[in-house]
Amino acid sequence: MKSAPSQLLSALKVLLLCLLQLLLLCACSTPYPKKPLSNKGTSGLDLVSKPSAQKLFLGEESNAQQLKPASAAEIASGKVSEFFENRGKIGNFGGSLTVATFGSGPKTFNPWAATEVESHGIGQLLFESLIDVDPWTGEHLCRLARSFEVSDDKRDYIFHLRRGLQWSDGFPLTADDVIFTFGTLIKEGFGNQSLRDTLSIDGQYPSIEKIDAYTVKFRTPKPFSPFLASLHGLGVAPKHALEKYTKRPHQEFFAVWDVNCNPADLVTSGPFRVGRYVPSQRVELIRNPLYGMCDASHRRLPYLDRFTEAIVPDQNSMLVKFYGNELDFLDIRSIRGPDARLMKQREGPGNFKMYNLGSDDGTMFLMFNLNQRKDPQTGKYYVDPVKQRWFNNLAFRQAVSHAINRTSILNNVLRGVGSTLYTAESPTAIYLNKKLKAYDQDLEFSKKLLTDAGFKFSHGWLLDPNGNKIEFTLNTNAGNSIRDGTCVIIQNDLKKLGIKVNYQPIDFNILVDKTEQSLDWEAIVMGLTGDKIEPYNGANIWKTEGRLHMFDQRLPDSSGKTLVNDERPFEKEIAHCFNAAANTFDQTERHKYFDRYQEIVYEQLPFIYLYSALDLTAMRNTHGNYNPTPLGIYYTPKGSLHNIEEIFDTRAKSTNRIREQK
Amino acid sequence: MSIAAYILKRLLQALPLLFIISVMSFTMLKLAPIDPLATLKANPAISQAMIKAEEERLGLNKPPVVQYGLWLSRTLTGNLGISTAGGPVSTLLLQRAFNTLLLSVLSILFTWLIAIPAGTYAAVYRGSYIDKFFGLLTAVGMSMPTFLLAMLLLMFALSSGLLPIGGLTSAYYFDLSGCAQILDIAWHLVIPVTVLTFVGLAGIQRQMRGNLLDVLRKEYVRTARAKGLPEHTVIYRHALRNAINPLITLLGFELGSILSGAALTETVLSYPGLGRLTLEAVLTKDLNLVMASLMLGALMLILGNLVADILLKFADPRISLE
Amino acid sequence: MATLEANLEASLQPTTGAPRPSAWSKIWRDPVARISIIVLFILYMSAALASPLTPYSMDFNDPELGNSPPTPVHYVDEKGAPCAPFVYKAKRMNDAETFSQFFQQDETQKFPIHFFVKAEPYKLLGFIPADLHLFGVGDGARLYIIGSDINGRDNYSRLFFGAQKSLTIGFLGLFIAFPIGIIYGGLAGFFGGAVDNAMMRFAEAVMSIPSFYLLIGLAAILPPGMSGADRFALITVILSFIGWAGIARVIRGMVLSIADEEFVQAARASGMPEFFNMLKHVIPQTASFIIVAATMQVPNFILSESGLSFIGLGIQQPDASWGNMLKFALDNINELLEKPVLLAPGFLIFLTILCFNQLGDTMRDVLDPKMQGQ
Repeated sequence: MKSAPSQLLSALKVLLLCLLQLLLLCACSTPYPKKPLSNKGTSGLDLVSKPSAQKLFLGEESNAQQLKPASAAEIASGKVSEFFENRGKIGNFGGSLTVATFGSGPKTFNPWAATEVESHGIGQLLFESLIDVDPWTGEHLCRLARSFEVSDDKRDYIFHLRRGLQWSDGFPLTADDVIFTFGTLIKEGFGNQSLRDTLSIDGQYPSIEKIDAYTVKFRTPKPFSPFLASLHGLGVAPKHALEKYTKRPHQEFFAVWDVNCNPADLVTSGPFRVGRYVPSQRVELIRNPLYGMCDASHRRLPYLDRFTEAIVPDQNSMLVKFYGNELDFLDIRSIRGPDARLMKQREGPGNFKMYNLGSDDGTMFLMFNLNQRKDPQTGKYYVDPVKQRWFNNLAFRQAVSHAINRTSILNNVLRGVGSTLYTAESPTAIYLNKKLKAYDQDLEFSKKLLTDAGFKFSHGWLLDPNGNKIEFTLNTNAGNSIRDGTCVIIQNDLKKLGIKVNYQPIDFNILVDKTEQSLDWEAIVMGLTGDKIEPYNGANIWKTEGRLHMFDQRLPDSSGKTLVNDERPFEKEIAHCFNAAANTFDQTERHKYFDRYQEIVYEQLPFIYLYSALDLTAMRNTHGNYNPTPLGIYYTPKGSLHNIEEIFDTRAKSTNRIREQK
Repeated sequence: MSIAAYILKRLLQALPLLFIISVMSFTMLKLAPIDPLATLKANPAISQAMIKAEEERLGLNKPPVVQYGLWLSRTLTGNLGISTAGGPVSTLLLQRAFNTLLLSVLSILFTWLIAIPAGTYAAVYRGSYIDKFFGLLTAVGMSMPTFLLAMLLLMFALSSGLLPIGGLTSAYYFDLSGCAQILDIAWHLVIPVTVLTFVGLAGIQRQMRGNLLDVLRKEYVRTARAKGLPEHTVIYRHALRNAINPLITLLGFELGSILSGAALTETVLSYPGLGRLTLEAVLTKDLNLVMASLMLGALMLILGNLVADILLKFADPRISLE
Repeated sequence: MATLEANLEASLQPTTGAPRPSAWSKIWRDPVARISIIVLFILYMSAALASPLTPYSMDFNDPELGNSPPTPVHYVDEKGAPCAPFVYKAKRMNDAETFSQFFQQDETQKFPIHFFVKAEPYKLLGFIPADLHLFGVGDGARLYIIGSDINGRDNYSRLFFGAQKSLTIGFLGLFIAFPIGIIYGGLAGFFGGAVDNAMMRFAEAVMSIPSFYLLIGLAAILPPGMSGADRFALITVILSFIGWAGIARVIRGMVLSIADEEFVQAARASGMPEFFNMLKHVIPQTASFIIVAATMQVPNFILSESGLSFIGLGIQQPDASWGNMLKFALDNINELLEKPVLLAPGFLIFLTILCFNQLGDTMRDVLDPKMQGQ
């Protein structure tokens, strides 16, 4: 029988421990989502109910799948692992998910050497990053990092890694790997050098320092608010597996872990490892038994035994395979506007459900070549000077924008599945300037704009103030029926203004050559992908010296530098907005600057925006926990499967054990 | 001249031919204003420095003559270079070559297995319903674009659910036992082989029919009949052998196209073969891959011609090899 | 090739002298050939007279009625009595829930179908201005017999205009490929020796490149900034690239074998220029072979054009060709399952090729001297 004081003491100890645990629990919780993100234009396809706030789950590492909560003391001792708990409902283990991507499939499993989007997408299923985007709120979500702090001068970022995380081969995941990734691999330009350029500010790469085995510090040369967003989805590389390749020439790194490598060599930190690559047919990923995430009942994820990505040549084949029950899931960009109706009809018999995630992050636009310079090699103007005057005339561009019947494009070409677009940011982007209004086709207004600017009408044709008949060539990429349809509509709409448009579809590769190299074009209809979370990722397009500043592309000279000596006032202001937004962390300020850049684009029309497609997906009813959100979108095959680790297959029996790969 | 010497002579003659073909293909590719790095350039996340690095790595910024010289010297040492999409060309070719070989061999096999008896029957029972039926069938086969036929069969597969929708192996292929694996592949091959057989049937069947009809008119057949031999001996022992001989040279030509692949059919049916690979490579101006593919195809065609000529010699000793 | 050469040998042998019906009447008598000729005649006439036969021109579009299903034509009025055919005006509505569009018929006003109407002006055969169309409705409604495409253009009309491109491309290709082949082969045989060797090596090289990739490679070279008509012409030229080498080889063989014939030497003695001397004697001997080869080559050209369009390198929008209309149909396989009528261009290609092949067969049978004794 204990004495009263000792009883009291032990009660106090327990209370203290509980308090400590509670404190730690609150340390890394993200804000509880206040309300579901609205999806304008969705119909009865609401997002599934929100999960509870993310908890810092403390667990014990063991070979069994079941993990127990640990005490604060155990964590501090470093003997236990800190797993990150997922937010979905509990599912059963086993089974598989078969998806497809179209094209020629991934080229490499090495995301730091990946140059095309398919390889990036696979990489995101194999490797975890320090932080990622929260699919519901758009805030930063801690993944490998348990927490992070930003210093007051906004230049230091300290990341605290979770303890006890392991690579798929059992090696511990520590700060060394982070230092290796950012300090050696990316910094020295192994593989895709764009990673270094994205993280650099004004050409300077941030410094990175190891504080202790689980803490890293980044220091940027000056405050740069897009820095955290550029870490989203950027995987951490395994030092113990890749360090030896950094001693070899840079060229060789592209061959490391490409699709033909031995899958057993790959060391991953994500929910899956590579099982097998069947050339030009499939990529088979299998469960990573040492993945650091667990479900609400503390069992180690992923639920799925297998994730299979089929490689098909085009979207049609994908649809047909899905109807033929060879695929379980169709991700974004596989269901085009014209396909949506029949897919919807087949929901019942096909045992699947369609999800509408709102507008895509991409934008489709018409642009004129505003270039007024001469080609240094030939001495001739890139664009006929007569036409230069039309294209650079603001009234002309405005008149064209008001003459295009975007609703007609939407209805004919996309069968109504999409939305018209007037802004540089897509309708579901976080920084969309909502004050910019849509406007319908108004030919009278266009004509007035033109006549006020000195243009004349004669015998049904439009003439410029010098009497030249307005005529130009419109290009887009061939073989794409949606672009074809759009251009024909534009051609007919502009005919009503008396403008003669010569429509010539050309091959995609040639089109890119024109916009990036020869600059020999007049008007192009084209699309670009965007970013719903961080508009600064479009800096390449909007900064005047940017590589994709297509409406007036400045080319680098022989030394590789791009000099700009004829910046327009609006180009300068847009660049200023981007720089200012990058320098401030104040959200109101950022919104202000990004709103202003969109306003300038809306008025000056360097790109005349046309429409934005809808992101539609379809998942069979046999799989659970599929909760797609407009903000949780990655490169396919991850696509809208932001929580791939907790997607489960109801058909699997929980006693299913995965067969070992031979 | 002996066979060996003849073969050697032809192979030596083939060398300048291959050289001309390589120059023609290279020139054709270089003239096309396609940018192999287009997809890279259109991606906003890729920086200028990265593009320059890729150009260096792939040797795209050197003058064309230099590039050709590099390609030639590399190929002669056995290094087929790297594809602009990544990965060594030789690996890519090898992976797909087996698939295409499988498809071609099966198609040729079925075509001949059906065409020879059909042609024989049609000639022997000329004017009968079977003759007319095959006439119609082959007419339809010759007149249908292959991709259209492939698409129609695909739609049939979709609506009936009996056949897989393209591809070569199922998703769970590696879980199957060895025997079941073979069956899985066979099931996937039904549509592609049907398409290629149907389209290729016409030529052989009609040729067989025509040849047999010719032979049946010949003097020695009349003699054989006059001698009192039963009809089927006349046909199957004597006439048929002579009728088939000319067709054997056709076999040589078929062998020549064994690795060309049927690009459009493979695309429609998602079949992982050489045809589709080469088509994609040409459209993206993947220099090393296209050159390797075209040279391989040309080499096979030349070899096929050679085999055809030699088989002709065996079949008809009257012909001398010059 | 083996067969063609064999045929050629056979055609050189002297024939019996008895009078016999002309080749043409023999062809005409064969029922299959006769039907083929009639069908081809109908197809080519439809292509030539596309403008008057169709209610709309190739480019006419109604953006409000894109992707319309076939317009229902009514033959009975409200009382149930039969009357002249009429249509209603259609209005397209969107349904966001089911992602579908449906076309509501506005039954307040009837639009009868008139025959021999005056509608859009055109130039018959390229130079005669006219504006008479076989049938049509007034401007208030649209008559889409097999529906409209993505831009609201009439599919039925575009089939006729597509015929113009697809059918002529076959013949034009011939007129380029065959003369080139004949002259090339003639020159090679004529000069003989090293020149012959070099020329033949080149021809063999061209024949050794798998023809499909040669086609694509050449099509990819086409400068992108060309008008539809220019592109059409150049594609025809490209297609002929894959036909000439075979002809050249055969002609060369012919020339070599008759170089020493007596009648050639006799002509030489009379002072004719050498080269044309050759050709003058070669051509008649090979006439039947050339005709048959030509008939068999046209289908190849049509197939190649549709193959090119399938990849997107053939005739481009907004021009219509059967190839690119078929490509569009195959791009939307979803719709095909519901509306197989979208495969009409494919069926027409098939029909044309079938007729050419049957005709070629019959011609070969007729012109084959081995059969002439029968």
